[in-house]
Amino acid sequence: MRIAWNTVLWAFLLIVAFLTLFPIIITLLGSFKTNAELTAGATFLPAIWQFTNYIEAWKQANFSTYTLNSVFVAVASTIGTLIVSSMAAYVVNRMDFIGKKLYVSIQAFTMFVAIGAVVLRPQFELMIKLHLHNTLWGVILILISTHASAFFILLSFMNGIPKELDEAARIDGCSPGRTFWRIIIPLLTPGLGVCALFAFRGAWNEYLIPFVFTLSKPELQTLTVGLANLKYGITAASQTHFMMAGACLSILPILIAYIFANKSFMQMTAGSLKG
Amino acid sequence: MNKAKNLAFSYSFLLPSYILTIVLGIYPIMWAMRYMFYDYKGFGTARFVGLANLERVMTDHQFWDSVSNTFVYAGGKLLLSIPLALILAVILNWKIKGRNLLRAIIFMPTIISTAVMAVVFFTIFNSYNGILNQFLLKYKLIGSAIDWLGVDYAMLTIILVAVWGAVGNYMLLFLAGLQNIPEDVYESSALDGANKFQQFRYITIPMLGPVMQMIIMLAIINALKGYESIMVMTDGGPIGKTNVMFLYVYKLFFPPAGSTASTQIQEFGYGSAVAFVTAVIVGIITILYFYGSKRMSHNE
Repeated sequence: MRIAWNTVLWAFLLIVAFLTLFPIIITLLGSFKTNAELTAGATFLPAIWQFTNYIEAWKQANFSTYTLNSVFVAVASTIGTLIVSSMAAYVVNRMDFIGKKLYVSIQAFTMFVAIGAVVLRPQFELMIKLHLHNTLWGVILILISTHASAFFILLSFMNGIPKELDEAARIDGCSPGRTFWRIIIPLLTPGLGVCALFAFRGAWNEYLIPFVFTLSKPELQTLTVGLANLKYGITAASQTHFMMAGACLSILPILIAYIFANKSFMQMTAGSLKG
Repeated sequence: MNKAKNLAFSYSFLLPSYILTIVLGIYPIMWAMRYMFYDYKGFGTARFVGLANLERVMTDHQFWDSVSNTFVYAGGKLLLSIPLALILAVILNWKIKGRNLLRAIIFMPTIISTAVMAVVFFTIFNSYNGILNQFLLKYKLIGSAIDWLGVDYAMLTIILVAVWGAVGNYMLLFLAGLQNIPEDVYESSALDGANKFQQFRYITIPMLGPVMQMIIMLAIINALKGYESIMVMTDGGPIGKTNVMFLYVYKLFFPPAGSTASTQIQEFGYGSAVAFVTAVIVGIITILYFYGSKRMSHNE
């Protein structure tokens, strides 16, 4: 009875694990196959490992441009998010001023109200007026503007930093700005790390915003956008191997970070909302 | 430090966040609220039309089709992913070998971009030269290619892909909820002769109530709003079979994928009205669920 139960349990777990990993493995292995082998299907391991796929995808299918754009967007919006949200969290946690409640409720409001494509349109029009629609800065600014969750995470971390430190610094003649950079920021590092990971993951994986901003500017496409657009290309059928290599280029950095940081990542993500 | 100086400092630190939130968060919502009442195609002057846009929404068959598609999609996704996530969380909360590895594997899809995975799933499910069909054909498991993204199966396929991407996340949230159930409740019930199934039914489920209520609510909102992967995989097709509410809204604001931006006339005014109705529908369902599920959060 017990053996039968255990067999069923493990069969179930292994099937779930297999189905979960299957598309990822297919992608990794597929990225080393020739296009003909891919579209003929039915081989699991590549007949001959085509390491040149990546070099060709990098050059021919423009993945060098896409990757650099992705790195630029992800890094810039991560840094921006950290600066903007840590400064806001600092004053909201430490200072008393008129309009504090209003600020916090606006932040909470923006987290819950999202009407998707509709807000994207006026954001796009705004960027045209600011002459930022032909650069990736428009995308970066919009990504930074969704910093409410980072703000709330940092606010809770800020609670754990004793206020006595601020007072001691003030008695020593340290200005609040200096206290922030010299004392608070170093102590806030764990919280900043969490937010950086979330912001980077979000920006790296974002599809719609960069897609809309690069509709007429293919040279600004990020990895997710460039990859999805290969699907619509007239020659898409003959480029499956590039699609697989591109998918790997976009998955691998996040996957490696995840594998190395798995334990803390799992704990942190228990509070994040996606799905 | 005096009060004025303190105030000036606080505002200066808050300014970047305030500006970004107001300009890129609040203003766009107001923009949509305003154009709801206008006939505006993105160029020329906007013409005030009152409630005409809202009236048009009420009789727009394409929109109501997309609403029913959304319900099918969200319902399917929830019915498959929530029970599966709960079962996995309960099992992986037991002290079994390799549970950390299994948790890590099942959570993995949630860290990957939905758009990227949609591309991969497209190459897998593609009827013409998809990997799955080629595989099934080679091993004679099917007689002829199945049109996974065709009229009959497209909805099922996108639901399965959505479940693949969501189970890990809900599992993790359930696991977090399970950690709060004290171990000795299980121990004493085991002494009383309760088996694992009875423990699940009479301890886990009731004690998980409040967490479950929250997780299902999040799942409902997410399922009603999700359209990124659908956009990449089927773009709402074939013949509108997988067109969901938010994808319909998107198409009123931006040209379809693969076409050039300049050739398409967009309907900003009407789109805003559709978005408003969509938001109201999501809101009503959330509130209905919240009150309907109140019993869940009471531990009797």
